[in-house]
Amino acid sequence: MVSAVRPARDDAGSAGGSRAGRIVAALFVAVVLLYLFAPVVVTVLFSLTTSPRLSLPIEGLTLDWYREAFANPIFTIALTNSLLLAAITALVSVGLGVPFAFGLLRLRGRTRGTLVTASLLPAAVPALVLGIALAVFFSGIGVAQGLPNAAIGHILVALPFVILTLNARLETFDLSCLEAARDLGASPWQTFRDITFPLIRPSVLGAALLAAALSLDEFVVTWFNVGNQQTLPVLIWGLLRRGIDPTVNALATVVLLSLTGLVLGAALIARRRA
Amino acid sequence: MTARPSTAAVRQIGPATGFFLVFFVVPLAILFAMSFWTQDGFERIPGFDLANYLKATTSRLYPAVLLRTILVGFVTAAIVVPVAYALAWLMRFTFERRGRLILGVVLISLFSGYLVRIYAWRTILGTEGLLNAALLQLGLISEPITALIFSPWAVMIVLVGLLLPLAVLPIWSAMTNVGRDHVEGARDLGATGLRLHRTIILPMVLPGVGTAFALSFVLAAGDFVVPTMVGGAQGGTMVGNLIANEFRGSGADWPMGAALAFVIMGLLVLVHLVTTRLLRVVTRW
Repeated sequence: MVSAVRPARDDAGSAGGSRAGRIVAALFVAVVLLYLFAPVVVTVLFSLTTSPRLSLPIEGLTLDWYREAFANPIFTIALTNSLLLAAITALVSVGLGVPFAFGLLRLRGRTRGTLVTASLLPAAVPALVLGIALAVFFSGIGVAQGLPNAAIGHILVALPFVILTLNARLETFDLSCLEAARDLGASPWQTFRDITFPLIRPSVLGAALLAAALSLDEFVVTWFNVGNQQTLPVLIWGLLRRGIDPTVNALATVVLLSLTGLVLGAALIARRRA
Repeated sequence: MTARPSTAAVRQIGPATGFFLVFFVVPLAILFAMSFWTQDGFERIPGFDLANYLKATTSRLYPAVLLRTILVGFVTAAIVVPVAYALAWLMRFTFERRGRLILGVVLISLFSGYLVRIYAWRTILGTEGLLNAALLQLGLISEPITALIFSPWAVMIVLVGLLLPLAVLPIWSAMTNVGRDHVEGARDLGATGLRLHRTIILPMVLPGVGTAFALSFVLAAGDFVVPTMVGGAQGGTMVGNLIANEFRGSGADWPMGAALAFVIMGLLVLVHLVTTRLLRVVTRW
């Protein structure tokens, strides 16, 4: 019986249902993953090795670069600014994105599709162009460069992704339960607090974490708008331009771990909901 | 049902739409207007002058850099998209359950630090880098390969790694619409191997493939950090470097930078339209 079922499945299964085909497929995936993660591995590895020049074989392990990086007073400023920007970006882009996604639910298919596409446009324009356009805009209205400008830039970068994820998740949301709540005499605020928010909380939290991750990693738009303020990527860029500095690897690993934490958190939340 | 929902919809959509209008549409419009200004020394002179666009298309420097940018962007996208397609296909139909896990791992690399990944490639590709050291030690080469770094090749190697995870997403989401029964049916009718993909699967996921191509092409051609870090001064300069210099460099000329930005975006749209037309013809064959 089993053998009667198995071959049919295998046959329909894949590019090459055969064993050899699967091995080639696994090798291909392994090479791609190696390509994607080689830079990550190199960074983490060299943040822990004693030799300041990057060389093989590795001589010894140390945490000195972390100590040195954290001792740099600019690091604390950059970290604080980056976390502040990430928090603001998460709050504002969710604050704008959630009502937008709900508003879309009330619209007819055509209008809705157009609006979704339009809201994704900023993500299809190179960050460089977003950055210079914002810089020109702020200079035109007489606003000096600084962190608030960078925050606007980060929200602009994150909002399309927030809308995209929320829109996909809300597609299954049933508006009639809100109407039911209202028919039973709930005020709009009560409806939101007791019905809507508990239902959408995981999606919103996931979108917020995604926005925070995008903000934490944002460099290009920031660089054209932040003036002489620091963020972690701006600090890393400065160090990179000055030549080989092993503390960069330590800083980079800190950013890397924070980003991975945020994204894994978002993924876990999405999963618990599903 | 008629009046109330629509005002509610407008109220809900309003704030985000307003944000996009003020901080996306208006700035781009201003940038476009500024591309027709001129600059005299440090002074920007408003007006309507095509001088910057003429310079972008006829000077000695700009056309060559624009052409290289288009080429690098196009080749990067042409490498990224087939690999992303193969990955999406394997994740969906070969690895099935483990496919989602692989997708998750691929997406994590998207959030492993943009600057950091670029910088780390310098450590890998450099003349005294890890790749050359490994190849030397293995005796495969007798002298370091210098072309690995500070060349258009280096720019493409790094861009492919940056953009691949991004390109997988739209193709994967299009691929979820392809059912096992589609594949089985096509196989029963004798479509196997490349033919299965060209005549059945590719047409079904074409919108996703188109999005992936456009995304990688535009983002590759619009990047200025990668060419700055691994492109080198000679052969690796892309138009992003020139634009960035016009805005943060010493002899900043915003109108010229604005014109270059619109020239490259116009060219990208043009090349993309031609490519999708071609792709459609090929798959309908």
